[in-house]
Amino acid sequence: MKIFLLFFMLAAHAELKVVTTTADLEALVTAVAGGKVKIDAIARGTQDPHSIEAKPSFMVKMRNADLVIAHGLELEAAWVVPLIQGSRNPKLAVGGKGFLELGDKLDPIEIPKGGVTRAEGDVHPGGNPHFTLDPLRLGKAAGLVAERLGELDTANRELFKKNAAVFHNRLAEKTKDWKTRLEKTKIKQIVTYHKTLNYFLDRFGIQNPIQLEPRPGIPPTAAHLMEVVETMKKNQVRLVLVENLYDAKAGEKVIGDVPGAKVARVPVSVGGEPEIKTNEQLLEKLVKTIEENSH
Amino acid sequence: MQLSCIPEGPLKIILILTALLFGPALTFAQSNSLKSPNISADALFLYRQSNFSKEDFEDSSPRNGLDLQEAELAFYADVDPYSRLNLLLSVHPDYEYLAATHRIKQTWGVEPEELFVESGHVAGVTLRLGKFKAAFGKHGLLHTHAYPFVDAPLINSSLLGAEGLNDVGASAAVLIPLSWYSELTLQYLRGEGENYEFHSPTPGDGVGVGHWKNLWDLCDSTTVEVGASYARGNNDLGGVTTLSGGDLTFKWRPLSGGRYRSGILAFEYIDRAQQQLGAGTERGAGLSSWVQFQFAERWTAKLRYETLKVTGSDAGVNTEHSLANALSAKTTAALQFDATEFSFFRLEYERLHGPAQSNGLANENKIYLQANFTIGAHPAHSY
Repeated sequence: MKIFLLFFMLAAHAELKVVTTTADLEALVTAVAGGKVKIDAIARGTQDPHSIEAKPSFMVKMRNADLVIAHGLELEAAWVVPLIQGSRNPKLAVGGKGFLELGDKLDPIEIPKGGVTRAEGDVHPGGNPHFTLDPLRLGKAAGLVAERLGELDTANRELFKKNAAVFHNRLAEKTKDWKTRLEKTKIKQIVTYHKTLNYFLDRFGIQNPIQLEPRPGIPPTAAHLMEVVETMKKNQVRLVLVENLYDAKAGEKVIGDVPGAKVARVPVSVGGEPEIKTNEQLLEKLVKTIEENSH
Repeated sequence: MQLSCIPEGPLKIILILTALLFGPALTFAQSNSLKSPNISADALFLYRQSNFSKEDFEDSSPRNGLDLQEAELAFYADVDPYSRLNLLLSVHPDYEYLAATHRIKQTWGVEPEELFVESGHVAGVTLRLGKFKAAFGKHGLLHTHAYPFVDAPLINSSLLGAEGLNDVGASAAVLIPLSWYSELTLQYLRGEGENYEFHSPTPGDGVGVGHWKNLWDLCDSTTVEVGASYARGNNDLGGVTTLSGGDLTFKWRPLSGGRYRSGILAFEYIDRAQQQLGAGTERGAGLSSWVQFQFAERWTAKLRYETLKVTGSDAGVNTEHSLANALSAKTTAALQFDATEFSFFRLEYERLHGPAQSNGLANENKIYLQANFTIGAHPAHSY
């Protein structure tokens, strides 16, 4: 009997196991969890989260997980459900406490009006899912993560809430600094490859008038790149940021036709470059890249 | 469920077991509407040009020219918190050789390729009931539009039948608690499917299928999968058919630049021993090996080489179901353009050297042009 009691006591205090779909969310949970949670991520920072292959080894990661945290808004739709099904872990069923999608709770941008079809490319009907590049939404996401972790591990609930508040306040403070620095660059418009950076640009009042890909998920065509060149000339856009998931050739081709324009490859996820370990470091890298290419 | 008020005894045990089985369900809603399931349609178009005409085979092989190879309609959704249902209807042309007029008659068939209920009621196990592709080998589980080449490998089409192993039955797939992915699938099929290999004339003769799949990450970009399969059951030739197989697959996709480069190297071996009443045991065995390299975002080149050796056949006894004693070899080269993940175009060349057909020729040369289009919420293909 004592052995059983000991077993149940140990089980009750077992460390929570969380699997996140991306490295951005892994970094976020790490900040909130304060060392009280075992965290694993599926997509690495150099991988395109839209098209991760549902490797069975990921199912093994999820087999004993208490919680899977995803961006949602159909970013991982093609692979997260097969992984959860393959894990055969009843804790992770949709609608239960073991599965948390954050995107739809964070006031998503670019929600298509009316019906969407695949003729428009890889459009997300619920809105743009790349919210982790907005420091303020990331702060709010920390609160949501803390709330769910607290439900699953009540003993550490207050710690999670405190860590989330610290994370939120830190990013809010940094946002003021980043805003000031980006305003000094006087850059008002930037062209990107995909709409990955739109939350970041939107937060700091920078527009993204056109992307290198003609439609989401469709590779650049010569005709479309001519349109990009025309738009850049017309709007006096002088900077192209190519997310380092994509080939930079299209960006290099475009700036060759726009006098004074520059192109830079940027990481768009934690781990996108080896030295980027936290969400703050990633956002700092983006700000710095824009600063360095604004002259 | 409040169990404290229930007296001790068998009833309480049953209730506890019921709660354990049906409480933690594993179902996944994807459709945004409760009134309609997820629906998808897939169409495969095929242009074929071969030095063998349709009449050289007198069977259901595709004919030269343009055709609709197959269309699939898939419906799937959660039934309730405990189970989900999958229905896959296949629309395909059937050909009938009319010996009197020496002509081919084309008709259209619609049939449930798969229709099963699946559940994750028990932690670590996926239970399945219905009609489904048996878990034998690796290629045999693929639907036509997911084949890496236009045709199934020789070992599949010759040893498992044109439709592959597909029957009504029950299945349990267990994720073995090891540090790597290790899945053991055990299946019981009723033995009354479309395959003469396992179509016993005696009701109640079932087929047992076992499949063990293992996958390791050699590094973040490379995996190796090793599988072993076995199946045994009575056939409609008055004997027993035994199938055994093994597969080995390496997959590579770099962490950086994985949109533009990837590769697959795969091998599959199948051995079939088929007892035939009054004719001894026919033995068929072969190896299919193929390599695939994605060299640009939308372009992939593929090459396949395969062999099949048949011995001990007495075609004079069971002409309909016997293979000719011969060593066949087939080489296939293909180039594929994936416009998006929902459509592709494939140009393919095949050279088959096998037993002489009715036209007296032993070498067949074929060119295919295939196009695939998918709409709707298609279920994800396995890795």
